Amino acid sequence: MVPFRLLVYPGFLFLFFCAMLFSWLDRRIIARVQGRVGPPWYQPLADFIKLLTKEDVLTTGAHALASSVLPMVSLVSVLTAALYVPVAGVSADSFDGDLIVVLFLLSMPALTYFLAGWVSVGVYSIIGGHRSLLQYFSYEVPFLIALAGPAVLSGSWRIADIIAYQGHTIWGALTQPLGFLLAVVGLIGKLKRDPLDIPKAKSEVVGGPLTEFSGRKLALWHLALDMQTVVGIFLLVNLFLGGSRFLTGLPAFPVFALKALGVLLMLSLASALYARLRIDQLATLGSRWLAPLALLQVAVVLWMRG
Amino acid sequence: MPFRVRSLIYMVPQIIRSLRAPSITVRFPFAPAVIPEGYRGVVKVHAELCRGCSLCVRDCPAAALELHRENRETYRLIYHPERCAYCGQCELSCNFGAIYQVNEISRSTLHLSELETVLVDRKPEEEDSEG
Amino acid sequence: MTKTTVPIGPQHPLLKEPMSFQLGLEGERVAESAMRIGYVHRGIERLCQERSYVQNIYLLERVCGICSHVHATTYSRAVEALMGVEVPPRGVYLRALMCEFERIHSHLLWLGVIARNIGFDTIFNYAWRDREIVLDIMEDLSGGRVSHAANTLGGSRFDLTDEHRDKILEQLQIMDAQIQLLLGAVEHERTLRERTRGIGKLTLEQIHRYCVVGPVARASGLDIDLRRDRHEAPYDRLEFAVPVHTDGDVWARTLVRVQEAVESVSLCRQILNSLPEGPVTTRVPRRVPAGEAISRSEAPRGEVIYYVRSDGSDKPARVKVRTPTLTALVTLSEQLADVQMADVSVVLSGVDLCIACADR
Repeated sequence: MVPFRLLVYPGFLFLFFCAMLFSWLDRRIIARVQGRVGPPWYQPLADFIKLLTKEDVLTTGAHALASSVLPMVSLVSVLTAALYVPVAGVSADSFDGDLIVVLFLLSMPALTYFLAGWVSVGVYSIIGGHRSLLQYFSYEVPFLIALAGPAVLSGSWRIADIIAYQGHTIWGALTQPLGFLLAVVGLIGKLKRDPLDIPKAKSEVVGGPLTEFSGRKLALWHLALDMQTVVGIFLLVNLFLGGSRFLTGLPAFPVFALKALGVLLMLSLASALYARLRIDQLATLGSRWLAPLALLQVAVVLWMRG
Repeated sequence: MPFRVRSLIYMVPQIIRSLRAPSITVRFPFAPAVIPEGYRGVVKVHAELCRGCSLCVRDCPAAALELHRENRETYRLIYHPERCAYCGQCELSCNFGAIYQVNEISRSTLHLSELETVLVDRKPEEEDSEG
Repeated sequence: MTKTTVPIGPQHPLLKEPMSFQLGLEGERVAESAMRIGYVHRGIERLCQERSYVQNIYLLERVCGICSHVHATTYSRAVEALMGVEVPPRGVYLRALMCEFERIHSHLLWLGVIARNIGFDTIFNYAWRDREIVLDIMEDLSGGRVSHAANTLGGSRFDLTDEHRDKILEQLQIMDAQIQLLLGAVEHERTLRERTRGIGKLTLEQIHRYCVVGPVARASGLDIDLRRDRHEAPYDRLEFAVPVHTDGDVWARTLVRVQEAVESVSLCRQILNSLPEGPVTTRVPRRVPAGEAISRSEAPRGEVIYYVRSDGSDKPARVKVRTPTLTALVTLSEQLADVQMADVSVVLSGVDLCIACADR
């Protein structure tokens, strides 16, 4: 049973499928919102395969080993995090405190992303890497505090317990709407999605840390980012929308899928609605608004617990 | 700094409106591309009207037209779509209404030489022939 | 702090045309900048001396890909002045009509470009979607989407029927509604304002020093618009406002341009409703007498000046083009001083770069 869970559901294959699906849906939603047709369903897969077949160019002076290990580390840490994030109540493994491990593993890609800029020697990569680190400090603090809310409320750092707690009370998003909103904002920053795609802003730093990557490595980077999107969305659904629990009697998987698509819709609309922020604007926003509000939310949660 | 919620959700009604509207782009190879009626496309000639006066050749800004004349009765008018600027000055310059543009796009070829079109091939004995 | 040199261009996602900047960065702050242009120099002024007066219309239309019509019109007016030819009123109106369509097209294109550069793809898509309406009208009228070839010496090459006019008025109705949405977005959308406010400031004094014209000057409080100031047909009979702002930053330029586009929609409607009857062209003499002429027009980016000298032959002896972009381009080094790396894209797109115009 364990190899099946690791490799097929809810492991690698399922996540890969979800990554492609979500990436397509995201592009499709944004396109429709902007009045375009959008890509066909096979576009993300086609892009992935095309990148795999492309020539892998390494710039002079770039660290060869590091630049091939980094995308793998990024992908592996996302996949490892996925082991502990239940999909419709099923997870490959679970233990007390797995939320903390998941949060740690999900912030690994940010570090590898910064290092990717560092090891490939281009100026755009280095500037992009610096920006990604700056951005990390702005979104990660409110994100972590916001995610601590449900854990504190349910009194457990085990994701399965948090879901169970919401099962016999109500959704976390209803008890902590502010925390949910901040978590979504934090997720946007984590995934470097549109309003907060500062480290890879095309008109400013070309491709950011990934400017010099090509071929298979770039494909892995994209896959890691797409999977991170999936795992991040699943995590939010579990912590704030009660996992697969809804009215009793409904099958678990469709409910979970619906909730996940709802969060994806929020992310897509956010990227269609706003212009990219500047890095100093994000830092101000993060330290002046997001982090204090997240603390406030946790304080409210503590008061609720009595 | 006044904080107004409207300024943060200003685009929401817009995107809902555009969700309801049909999309402006088409999936190109599968949906037909429409070339409008008055589009200035490739150059054609009513060969029977052409007198070989070479006014079009003189005024063509891109040197897309060539007239090879052997004598008064024998000449060939050659058109190079790859040089053509599709400005339609030839149509304007022609005093006999012989040269005109249609709303077609010149086809793609593998070699430049295949694009070359003989518009008029006038010989003394026959009336006209079109290439 | 160590300085990093970041090249922007000749090829860069931010630039739609080749030009080059070397930015010396201190952290994210631009400490110094060096500009290099000339990548799209095509020697058009020299080429003009090799071609006949008629051929030059189409050559000069290709000085700029956006404001192609206004270049051809200005050149034609200069040559017509040399010939001593008066263009019939209907021809003048039709030329102006095309110019106004072109202004809407240019400003919406620019709005799309700056929205894209600040990562606002929705506005970018909306602006270019709405610009498509104008492009369709222009294609319908003249047969070309960008290179309209709508001019000939002595008048306009296209004419329009009453049914055609009604159809355009209908399309303008849609255009009006759409452009109001975009104007609203520029005025009210918070992230767009945050990104463009206070960036790339030019004072009125700097505008005077660099002889900047067009929307950039009007955004800094200089109230010039050749259409209004020259009192010539058809603008002397039309009612329109010249939007002027005093902030001098990119946000003010955005507002000026979108408001101008709104004015242009109303101008198009007025022109269509007051189109005089009569021919659209007049016969022009075969020869251009020796002499020289200067002609000016208000292009979407500002005042464009043509100087044409004739020596009596069938080719002009000299054609000099003065495009509005070049003056705005030289202010870039001042605008770029001390901005953040992230704002470079805003500053560069803020002046509405047309490298092809500047280089010729």
